[in-house]
Formats: sequence, structure tokens, C-alpha cells
Amino acid sequence: MKILKDKVAKLSFVALLITITAAMFYAPTASAHGEKSQAAFMRMRTIHWFDLNWSKEEVVVNDTMTISGKFFVFGGWPETVDKPDISFLNIGIPGPVFIRAGSWIGGQLVPRSVQLELGETYEFKVLLKARRPGDWHVHTMMNVKGGGPIIGPGKWVTVTGSMSSFTNPITTLTGQTIDLETYNLGNTYFWHAAWYGIGLLWLAYWCRKPLFVPRLIAVEAGKGDALITGTDKKVALGFGVGVIAIVAMSMASTNESFPITTPLQAGLLRGIKSIDMPVPTVAVKIEDATYRVPGRAMQMTMTITNNGDSAIRLGEFNTAGVRFMDAAVAQDETGYPDDLLAEEGLTVSDNSPIAPGQSRTIQVTASDAAWEVYRLADLIYDPDSRFAGLLFFYDQSGNRQMVTIDAPLIPSFI
Amino acid sequence: MSASQSAVRSRAEAVKVSRTFDWLILFTLFFVVLGGYHVHFMLTGGDWDFWTDWKDRRLWVTVLPIVGITFPAAVQAVLWWRYRLPFGAVVAVLGLLLGEWINRYLNFWGWTYFPVNFVFPSNFMPGAIVLDVILMLTGSMTTTAVVGGLAYGLLFYPGNWPVIAPLHVPVEYNGMMMTLADLQGYHYVRTGTPEYIRMVEKGTLRTFGKDVAPVSAFFSGFVSIIIYFLWHFFGKWFGSTAFVEAA
Repeated sequence: MKILKDKVAKLSFVALLITITAAMFYAPTASAHGEKSQAAFMRMRTIHWFDLNWSKEEVVVNDTMTISGKFFVFGGWPETVDKPDISFLNIGIPGPVFIRAGSWIGGQLVPRSVQLELGETYEFKVLLKARRPGDWHVHTMMNVKGGGPIIGPGKWVTVTGSMSSFTNPITTLTGQTIDLETYNLGNTYFWHAAWYGIGLLWLAYWCRKPLFVPRLIAVEAGKGDALITGTDKKVALGFGVGVIAIVAMSMASTNESFPITTPLQAGLLRGIKSIDMPVPTVAVKIEDATYRVPGRAMQMTMTITNNGDSAIRLGEFNTAGVRFMDAAVAQDETGYPDDLLAEEGLTVSDNSPIAPGQSRTIQVTASDAAWEVYRLADLIYDPDSRFAGLLFFYDQSGNRQMVTIDAPLIPSFI
Repeated sequence: MSASQSAVRSRAEAVKVSRTFDWLILFTLFFVVLGGYHVHFMLTGGDWDFWTDWKDRRLWVTVLPIVGITFPAAVQAVLWWRYRLPFGAVVAVLGLLLGEWINRYLNFWGWTYFPVNFVFPSNFMPGAIVLDVILMLTGSMTTTAVVGGLAYGLLFYPGNWPVIAPLHVPVEYNGMMMTLADLQGYHYVRTGTPEYIRMVEKGTLRTFGKDVAPVSAFFSGFVSIIIYFLWHFFGKWFGSTAFVEAA
């Protein structure tokens, strides 16, 4: 019986080891950026990205692509998040798989942080140069000081080719053209190796002699000073003077080689130009809004008043980068990421054209698995249970108007 | 052989055992210091040491010697007062640099593909050697703290300048002027490190025109003196043999 128990124990142990070993072979790529984990209200009530365009879905190393579009800095910015007074237009990629060859807001290059105004819409563009092959999820992203990263929609882009062929040529103001990818590398290795070598020489000098036990005995016997000989002092002096001489000479020769250097550049960029958006002629009043948890759908009752001179229809509700569309009114033609696009996700109780001067109360339902997949349903657990988003209305000529909505949200659990 | 008898039977054998013991202790000391100093330095120096676009003439010069003189001072205290060995600072910096290079090469370049010319560590070796030399020549903690601590701060910037200067060459990029180091920070995307986190060129030191690096280095040296005292005492306290039973 005991033998049988031992065998079972041994086999169990072997099975456990095999299981653990087998688990090691399953190592899926961590390619997301935590966009789904960010609090829903952060994504719905801060930066609204729209009209996004990823210029390519496949790009070869050294080739470029752009992400362009607009973002609206939501006027109802949550109190719990610092205002975007110091913000940085970033890009959400897994490390430098692309280099950021340029980024612009309102036509201005923004290599540094910028000040954004609430309620304004800005045009942006990010130029990326492919560096490392692979399939990468490329997100728009705005970092806000005191608010954290506010990540926008992401799209998969494939980079092909070989990273070893990547180059990053730059011409300096002193007229020298360098490859920033490898520039100064030999110089860096040389100086670090040289100083490390000098340090090792100093250590080696002392390690020639007995180190710990005999010296401890001598020190404890009060003969510590005798352990340092005249030669030791001369050698030490040589090292000391030599080090200072090397530092002085290397600095002088460096200044001779690089007579023109400037300090690092820093500082906030203010006065970023926003888009002069036309004042909407459509007024929307949210009567009530509920999120039905079992149905993964948001239902809104809204009163729309058309103050313009042409009939309009509701075509899209955009929140947190998820686009709920009424396919009969508007369709995406930009290749927007599938997981963020609910092509027929917008249901309107009466979406016939609203004539100029007419006012109509309608029920709008935005439903899609994206509510769950993108964890927007977690809005009901946020400290300020409100939702926000953009409504896009279209007239018969295809002209578009953008209206912001912001209202309390009541969850429905049944 | 009884417990009271020696484990060695001749002087030659005793010397051999002693040397073996030397290497064992030195090897262990090196890696223990490497680990401790590296963690300490990553936590306190952090981004200033990670990226070239943080290595400015004000805060990098000021902060790094102050947080970098700690372990050299402590290791010196143990090795000098117990063994009269004047390589405490150098062995600490050798450990730190080895750890930093392994980290930068394997992690920053090998795993996340940041080019090494953007993420190489700062060099403390000139200051460390001078610190050891001063302690050896004077045998005085006070002199080492005052003269050595100051030298540690003063030598840091010129000691690194041959590596940093090429990256401070200006470039015009899409209508803006920046240094090559700034451009590295802009090009090689750090998703979790937005530009505003960068603490460079901040402060009120504006009355010295463009020559702020020497002033920053002096200030760093003064603070390094105080930190040297503090960590030298830490070394003495933690280097105690009070808990080791005598033979």
C-alpha cells in the first residue's frame, strides 16, 4: 500500500512538473496598451478623437505612415482629472517600433508639451517611420499632466522588413549628417571601457596583495598604518593626478571637436491653434439616458431641434472612440478599426429627416458588444456617473454637424 | 583534528587559504554592492540616468553625484577602517556600472529596442578614484568628505562630457531647434514617459548666463559632502562585527 502511495505521489509530482513546463511554452504576446482598463469616464469625457485616419496598414522598415484626425477637448472635463493645461501628444505603441518623425497640432510641430483649451477642437497629425518588424497596435494618445495617459483608438499595423536596415539620418546645424540610430555609439563604448579599465587597474593594484584576513589582523593589532607603503602612496598620487589630467584633457579635446553645443530644449508650447468649428445649428437636449446592463445598450431620449436651413438626420454617436452608426445615414469609408466600429449599432426610433425649424423627441439606442469588450459598461461603477460623446448629424447633401452631449446616466439591471 | 587545532598545517597553506578567502569575499562583496547600489541608484537617479534627453546642465549634474556618492562612502567606511583597503568607492562604482550596462544592454536595447546611444549610463569612475585616493593619502574621513565629496560633484560633468557633448549638437527639425539628445527623446517613443515628466533646465539659476553647469556642479559637490558623511557613518554602523561570535 505504501509503495502504491509513493508511486502516486511521484507520478503526481512528475505530472505537476510537466504541466508547469508545458505552461511555459504558452506565452502569448502582450500587445495591448491597457486601453480597456482605463476608467470609462476618462475615455468618454476627456479627449474625443474623430475623423481618424491611419494612412497605411502595412509598412516596410524605413517607410513612413501617418495618423491624422481631430480631437475635441471635452468642455465637461471631469473634476477628478487635472485640466489639460500641460499635455503631450503621444503615440501608443509598444516601445520604439516606429520612430516619431513628426507630430503636429494645428499645424505646429509639438515635440514638447502643449496647453490645450477645454471646448476646443484641434487637428493633429503624427508621422511615424517604421523601425521594427511585427504587428503593432498603433494608438492615438494624449498624456495629460495630473490626468495620466488618455489613450485613443488603435489599429493594427504590420511592419515588414529588417530592423538592421533601419537608418535615421539627421543633418545638424553644424552641417554634419549623422545616423541617429548609431551616432556616438563607438565614442560611448570607448570612454566607458576606458574608465572601467582604469577602475579595474586601481582594484588590481590592491588585489595583488593579501586582502582581508591579514589586513584585519594588522588593523586590529594597531598596525593599520603600516599596511600603506610609500609606493602605495606614489601610485595613488599617480592615479589621482592622472584621473584629473585625463578629465581635463578629454574635456578640452571634446570642446575642440564640438565647439557648438546647446542646452537641452524644454518648455511649454502655448497658443496652439484650434479649428474654428462652425456653430451647430442643431440643438440636442438629453431627456434621460440609461444603460441596460443585460442588453449591452445605451438608450437615450433626446429632443432635437433643427435651427438650420436644411433637413438633418442623426448618423453617428461617437464615444470613447467607439462609433455607433446608422448605416442608412452614414457609413465609414476610412477603414476604421472593426472592433471600434458598430456599423449598424445606432437605432433611432424615428430617423426621418428633421425639417428646418422642427423639433422632435426620439429614442436612440447605441448597442454593440463594444460596450463590454471595451469595458465602457464599467461607467456605472465610476464616481461620477455621467456619459458624454459626439453626435453627428447629416443633411441631404452630406454636410455634417457635430454636437456634444453630456448627461447623467442611470444603469438598468433588469 | 580537534576543534582547537588549526585547519592549516603550514604557512604556505595558510596563505593559500587566505587568498582563496580574499577572492570569495571580494566576489561576494562586488555582487552584493552591485545589487544594492544598482537598486538604490535606479530609484533615486532613475530617469536622469536612463535617457540622454534628461542629462542636462542643471539637474542631472546636481542630482546624480548626490545620490551616487552614497554606496561609495559606505563601502569605503567598511574597507578602510577594517582593512585599510582604499578601493571602496571604485569597487562600488565598478559594480554599479556593470549592473547598469547589463540593464541597459539587455533590457533597454535587447527587450525594448531603445538604441544604446540613447540609454547608456552615467560615468562615476573619475570621482570614485579621486575619492579613494584622497582617503588613502589622508586617512581622514573628514578630509575625504570635504575634498573628496566636492571633487566627486565637480568631476561628474567633465567626466561625462566627452560622451554627452556630441549629443548636444544643435539640429533644426521642422522649424524648431533642438539638440540631438532632445531629438532622440522625441523619435524613440516612450509611451509611459511623456515629455512633461522630463525634469530638465528647471530652477531659478538664471544669473550665470549659459555657465550654469559649474555652479550646479559646485552645489552638487557641497551636498555630496553632507551625504558622504551620512553614508560613511551608515557604512561604519552596518560594517559592525558586533553580531559575529569571536573564535
